[in-house]
Amino acid sequence: MGFWFSKFLQLFGEKEARILVLGLDNAGKTTILYRLQVGEVVSTIPTIGFNVETVQYKNIKFQVWDLGGQTSIRPYWRCYYPNTQAIIYVVDSTDVDRLDTTKEEFHAILDEEELKEALVLVFANKQDLPGSLDAPKIAEALELHKIKSRTWTIFKTSAMKGEGLFEGLDWLAENLKK
Amino acid sequence: MSSKDAKRFFNSGAKKGEIHELKQELKTPDKSKKKDVVKKVIAAMTVGHDVAPLFPDVVNCMQTDDMELKKLVYLYLINYAKTQPDLTLMAVNTFVKDSLDPSPLIRALAVRTMGCIRVDKITEYLCDPLARCLKDSDPYVRKTSAVCVAKLYDISPELVEERGFLENLKDMISDANPMVVANSVAALSEIHSMSGKPVFDLNSQTIFKLLAALNECTEWGQVFILDSLVDYNPKDSKDAESVIERIIPRLQHANCAVVLSALKVILKFLRYVSDNDFKGPMMKKLAAPLITLLNTEPQVQYVALRNINIIIQRHKEVLSSNIKVFFCKYNDPIYVKMEKLEALIKLANEDNIDQLLLEFKEYSTEIDVDFVRKSVRAIGRCAVSIAESAQKCINVLLDLIETRVNYVVQEAVIVIKDIFRKYPNKYESIISTLCENLDTLDEPEAKASMVWIIGEYADRIDNADELLETFLETFPEETSPVQLQLLTATVKLFLKKPTEKPQQMIQLVLSNATQETDNPDLRDRAYIYWRLLSTDPEAAKDVILSEKPIIADDTSALEPEMLDELMNNIGTLASVYQKLPDTFVARVRPMVQSASSFNPEADVVENGAAGDVIAEQSAPVDVPDLLGGLDGLNVSAPAPAGDAPAPSGGAPDLMGDLLSLDVGGGAPAPAPAQAAPAQPAGGFDPFGLDSLSAPVSSMPVQQTELPVILAADKGKGLEIRGKLERSGGQIVYNLSFRNTTAGVLDGLMIQFNKNSFGLLPGGALQVPALQPGSSGAAKLPINVNVQGANPAPARSALQVAIKCSQLGVLYLSDTISLGAVLTEEGRLQYPNFQQMWQAAPPANSQTQVFQVAGASQDAVVAKLESGGLFCVGKQMNAAHFSGKLVLGALALVEVAMQPGSPAVQVTCKSQRVDLLPLLMEFVGKTML
Repeated sequence: MGFWFSKFLQLFGEKEARILVLGLDNAGKTTILYRLQVGEVVSTIPTIGFNVETVQYKNIKFQVWDLGGQTSIRPYWRCYYPNTQAIIYVVDSTDVDRLDTTKEEFHAILDEEELKEALVLVFANKQDLPGSLDAPKIAEALELHKIKSRTWTIFKTSAMKGEGLFEGLDWLAENLKK
Repeated sequence: MSSKDAKRFFNSGAKKGEIHELKQELKTPDKSKKKDVVKKVIAAMTVGHDVAPLFPDVVNCMQTDDMELKKLVYLYLINYAKTQPDLTLMAVNTFVKDSLDPSPLIRALAVRTMGCIRVDKITEYLCDPLARCLKDSDPYVRKTSAVCVAKLYDISPELVEERGFLENLKDMISDANPMVVANSVAALSEIHSMSGKPVFDLNSQTIFKLLAALNECTEWGQVFILDSLVDYNPKDSKDAESVIERIIPRLQHANCAVVLSALKVILKFLRYVSDNDFKGPMMKKLAAPLITLLNTEPQVQYVALRNINIIIQRHKEVLSSNIKVFFCKYNDPIYVKMEKLEALIKLANEDNIDQLLLEFKEYSTEIDVDFVRKSVRAIGRCAVSIAESAQKCINVLLDLIETRVNYVVQEAVIVIKDIFRKYPNKYESIISTLCENLDTLDEPEAKASMVWIIGEYADRIDNADELLETFLETFPEETSPVQLQLLTATVKLFLKKPTEKPQQMIQLVLSNATQETDNPDLRDRAYIYWRLLSTDPEAAKDVILSEKPIIADDTSALEPEMLDELMNNIGTLASVYQKLPDTFVARVRPMVQSASSFNPEADVVENGAAGDVIAEQSAPVDVPDLLGGLDGLNVSAPAPAGDAPAPSGGAPDLMGDLLSLDVGGGAPAPAPAQAAPAQPAGGFDPFGLDSLSAPVSSMPVQQTELPVILAADKGKGLEIRGKLERSGGQIVYNLSFRNTTAGVLDGLMIQFNKNSFGLLPGGALQVPALQPGSSGAAKLPINVNVQGANPAPARSALQVAIKCSQLGVLYLSDTISLGAVLTEEGRLQYPNFQQMWQAAPPANSQTQVFQVAGASQDAVVAKLESGGLFCVGKQMNAAHFSGKLVLGALALVEVAMQPGSPAVQVTCKSQRVDLLPLLMEFVGKTML
């Protein structure tokens, strides 16, 4: 019934989308989630597990799953892959040391069969901090240019200041409608 | 669960689809539907279906504001967290979030559920929420957290101590809410009993707080508080009195558990009261609540009676004026009657004995045999314990004997024997009455008692010899207590009346008891008597007719220490069982024994003297590689013999690293591919290459004697027998150890030197500690690491080092029989065989002629097949065989023979020339 109901809503332009927020630990995923949901910065602790919230934006109901980024939890990300319309991949732009790691995780996600259809939105987060790399540098580090046959984009964001997040959602909303 | 659902779940055929279907349904975004699906999952769980595969999907439903759904998911988690410890990690964040939820119900639920999930990985994450909830503003959350601390202590005592949760609990005793106090006390006493060390120090301040909370908390909370109060030792008499005063009102509580716990505390504290004006009336006050307990339903009555029986053993005065409440009603269940009877016996004294005897006499006419027996015994016990009443008791017993009811008479005889023991030379006048009833005695105890009486009073019973004689007729058929009594009684009779007839009797008895019996007690006693009588009859008299010690009634009396302990456990299961708590509950959780993964069938093998012939050959030969590396062994770390070894590679890790032994490569290669299950087990050359005299047969391996590979004199007193064998597609080293030293040998470890077939121990040697003179056997699985094999030329020698904690390292050399290293997959198709046979260059071929007396082709085929070579083709005069060694090398064999001639020509071919001599030798030996 739920399925029919959502179909019904779609006729009127209301849409539901399942979004995964992924990225290494301490990238700012949980902060982004709650910034999007309640519009303010909440103090967070490392997410051992997941958070799920619904964000209503531009007639789209985003069901956002924020998964913990600890090494121990990453293997379980795959439990959440099915039926995902989009991935928000969050990168800590100041964490230069782990750019390689984040690149590897990122490409591992892209290789997943279950995520072949998902849109990819990269957030180069923590732009408010000194020493942060800008979006093109992050794009380069993640080797985004290697992505073929997939819709993707990158935004520079600051979850603390709330910059760039809704632009990202705009992009998602735009591309999900297609 | 609707009946339709039930039908679907009981239909196991569709089980796989069911899980899949549920998995899909769980993905629904619709909340109310999701709840229904989770309900279905829980329903499936409760009827015993394994819904563990749904774990991630159910956990994903956890973050919801629907309380009901959350509870369902939590229920699921508690059940399946153990099976999915890793995935449980995904639930942690939700628990943490829920422990911060505005609703105290959800906070408490989260903490409680986390405590119930016994997964090590998540316990550390439990601590922060728990610490927070212990200080929660809501008492419900606090009291739930208190219990959770005890649960956490069970999983990880270190964490509890590290995080200071014990201090938190102690602080919570001062909590304003009595429920929190009660639960903290419960948690602390639980931890106390788990840890076995004092974590909960009671002082007058904490006692004051507990007493304050006592009046306000629930009945079970009161029980917890009272039970922990027992551990407090009051400073002085006044202190004890004040505590008792505070507890007295609890005796009026409707809950029996509260009453019993209160009684327990009061009885304990009364011991500290010195003021007799306080003590006396207080004891009187205890009677009423105890009597009230007897007005409940029978089951509770039973529990109360078990406790009362403990209390009155120490404090008879409490109930001695209330014996009437223990009189049995006709409709009391038997278990209540029995306990009441016990209480009555304990409460008997000179004043009430008349009343009691009337009562007992009446019970003795009831229909329940057990109850009647116990009543008769009760009379006897009263007679023994109250001297003044003995005559009265005897009279009652005589009355009962008059009834001629078989079991009454028998019981009466048994108790009269005790009365005679207790009051010698007083009531012997009744013996004649007893003798009238000899015929009715058919139970061993009664018979034995009667025989004892006859023997003891042989001088006063005129026809004692005749009476005994009737018993002696059936001597061989009697049970051993009766036989023993008959023996002693006859001897007594003989000593008291050394006439001719007793003399004959005694000879009969002694010969019967020494020659016709296999009961050592009887035989030994008879021999002692015999010798005593034959050497010094006077001494025999002194011994056998000596004064006997006084008896007392202690049938149900408990040891004083035991009684003390039970008094402190009134109202618990211990008082009902009347056993110490440690004897039936393990307070400290025992360590989980790791199951041994190898040699489950290892058994002690009897070692005879055989095998000496081979012993000389098995002395250590040359061990060049080993000697260099093994020198450091004596200083190596202790062997982790008790640990379960890793299924493979355990031994190389163990010794290889320590010794820098050349074992070749890290983990050994897995055992060769699984054998065809149809292969006959144990059919592969069960006797090593050197045992020339051994007949080749396919006898079961277990029954054959293992050859000695290290004689005791060469092995510092440790004799080792062993043989490499092939069974079930694997190579197994059957070893047996015999300890001929004077001390215990343990910590046996084994290692092989690099050998031609890449054989490595597939695990640690699992041999129990060998007591002096004992043997132990082990089946050591062998792995094959082809890369680790010595390069050509192939040799059959296997150099083995055995380390023992006491003897150091012992070296020995064994031979690898090809039968052990020929795999089960060596059968070639005949065309393939022919092709290879013809293609083999002459250099890879060897031919030899053996003399086999009476050889027939069929016999040779059978023998070689059982040795691991497969017959691929038979012609008139030749048979062809193929085999495959664990190294991968093929062995091709042709056996040619002429009918009637003992000469057998064997031709072997292999791509490895160096194997040919070994192969030839093997074929030759196997054929013989």
